[in-house]
Amino acid sequence: MKIGIIGAGQAACTLIAELIRGQFDGEMLVFNGESHRPYQRPPLSKTWLTHPTETESLRLLPDPIENHPSVQWIQQRVTGIEPDDGLIVTERDRYSVDQIVLATGTRAKKLAIDGLPSEKTHVIRTLDDAITLHSALDGVQNIAILGAGFLAFELASSLDQPTRTIRVLAKGIRALPQVSVKAADRLLDATPASIRVDVTVERYDEDSAALITNHGSIPADLVIIAIGAQANTELAEACGLGTDKGIPTDSYMQTPHPCVSAIGEVSLHDQPHMKQKMRVESISEANDTATTLAKRLLGQPEPFNATPWFWSDQGELKLQIAGLCARTDEETVLINTETECVVMRHQGDRITAVEAVNAAKEFMAARRLFEQGPISLGSAIEAGSLFSLLQSSRS
Amino acid sequence: MPQLTCIDPNEQEIDVTFEPGETILQATYRAGVDGILAECGGGCSCATCHVILDATWDGTVEGPSVQEADMLSFAIDPTPHSRLACQVELNDKHDGLTLSVAKRQY
Ligand SMILES: Cc1cc2nc3c(=O)[nH]c(=O)nc-3n(C[C@H](O)[C@H](O)[C@H](O)COP(=O)(O)OP(=O)(O)OC[C@H]3O[C@@H](n4cnc5c(N)ncnc54)[C@H](O)[C@@H]3O)c2cc1C
Ligand code: FES
Repeated sequence: MKIGIIGAGQAACTLIAELIRGQFDGEMLVFNGESHRPYQRPPLSKTWLTHPTETESLRLLPDPIENHPSVQWIQQRVTGIEPDDGLIVTERDRYSVDQIVLATGTRAKKLAIDGLPSEKTHVIRTLDDAITLHSALDGVQNIAILGAGFLAFELASSLDQPTRTIRVLAKGIRALPQVSVKAADRLLDATPASIRVDVTVERYDEDSAALITNHGSIPADLVIIAIGAQANTELAEACGLGTDKGIPTDSYMQTPHPCVSAIGEVSLHDQPHMKQKMRVESISEANDTATTLAKRLLGQPEPFNATPWFWSDQGELKLQIAGLCARTDEETVLINTETECVVMRHQGDRITAVEAVNAAKEFMAARRLFEQGPISLGSAIEAGSLFSLLQSSRS
Repeated sequence: MPQLTCIDPNEQEIDVTFEPGETILQATYRAGVDGILAECGGGCSCATCHVILDATWDGTVEGPSVQEADMLSFAIDPTPHSRLACQVELNDKHDGLTLSVAKRQY
């Protein structure tokens, strides 16, 4: 069997590694639309920006996998697919395959700001973005980050320097709306950035090097747009297999076309944990969808049944989230000490996510508990910690 | 270049060279040592890069942080010499270090 994998990011690389580990006896053609060997994204907004070491340290695949004879790397962007004929098309060539895997991920959403020159506008999604941002930092005193999610605050911590002022500008009424108010408070207490909420940017004024907003003029030698991601669904859309919301698949990562699968951030599928179809942006999602597809391609299909998890380094603080919740889910604090903070998100008595700040044990206990089944808020409160709850569930 | 000796889950012994400043994960991963999954790529958030250092190296390698120790307590069958490969930074003094990769990461 010849598999054409489009994209060479996290999901694609996990698929490749899992297929090789599973003794897959076919061929893989991997289309890499970037000019670097497969690399990890999470460090780009964290350690890499402070210590931009050799890109070697970011490598995603070990040598024996990257150089495996079953893998052929094709350094080209795919411009189209023709599923009925098993064709993958690039600007230069057409490749014939038996299975097509869309692992195209997302790209940073852009925002056009009147008057803002392109050399002062940055996003961070790729290694090239990070390299460009890093090389533009010399002498920069005022940085404005638009968007107030994990990425914005990771960047704020990584870019912090005594001579710099970093301002995070949120369009909405609160920063870090992805997490509970309590967890956000803990993380924001430690951020070096000053935060403005409810900001609408009108334009950029080059003479004063400032963003003109509904809150007046905000100095910005450089502007980073971190307002979220847009799924790369165009290839699927062109053949009726998706919309800009994602590429729908079943629980085995298969699209309605028998020869086309989608994994990673582009795939829109049933998330058993959320009891709904959704697209999830995280490393765990990329790995778990890739593993599910690998099992099917190896002839041992098992439906996707993973519980999402996530982490983010916010300066000295480590946020780890087990599970996934809706922004409207209720919040109840379980642990709140000088060093740790653990917040449970829930719908009634059913816990949907556990947000742990500097509380790795609680995060891991929550992951193990989710693997066993639903977690009840009442019993977590009674046990005093998820760790105790896990221990009592095992004894 | 300084070197590590790794024993993988199939009892295969592999010599791995490293650059001072690299983590055990970076060195072993590059060499493709089997059995290390490292799902979070070094983020100290998955505990799937569990290795066990040879006991003779006790004291030579700086001990784990609270975060690492907490994560390690959820690895499969942790020992007093267990570490997360992504959290151990290597220097010249670690030339000759022997470690085994955990039999299972989960
Ligand atoms: C700065 C940053 C920090 C992050 N931090 C965390 C974190 O701390 N924790 C966490 O869980 N997640 C984090 N993430 C998210 C995580 O990196 C992604 O969820 C993960 O990489 C998604 O994997 P993927 O394979 O779906 O997509 P990607 O890794 O984006 O890979 C998709 C690849 O496909 C390529 N491609 C697209 N279209 C084509 C085409 N037509 N032809 C050829 N190639 C194509 C793209 O160029 C890209 O290289 C972070 C992301 C970023 C950008
Ligand atoms: S790689 Fe995830 S904890 Fe070490």
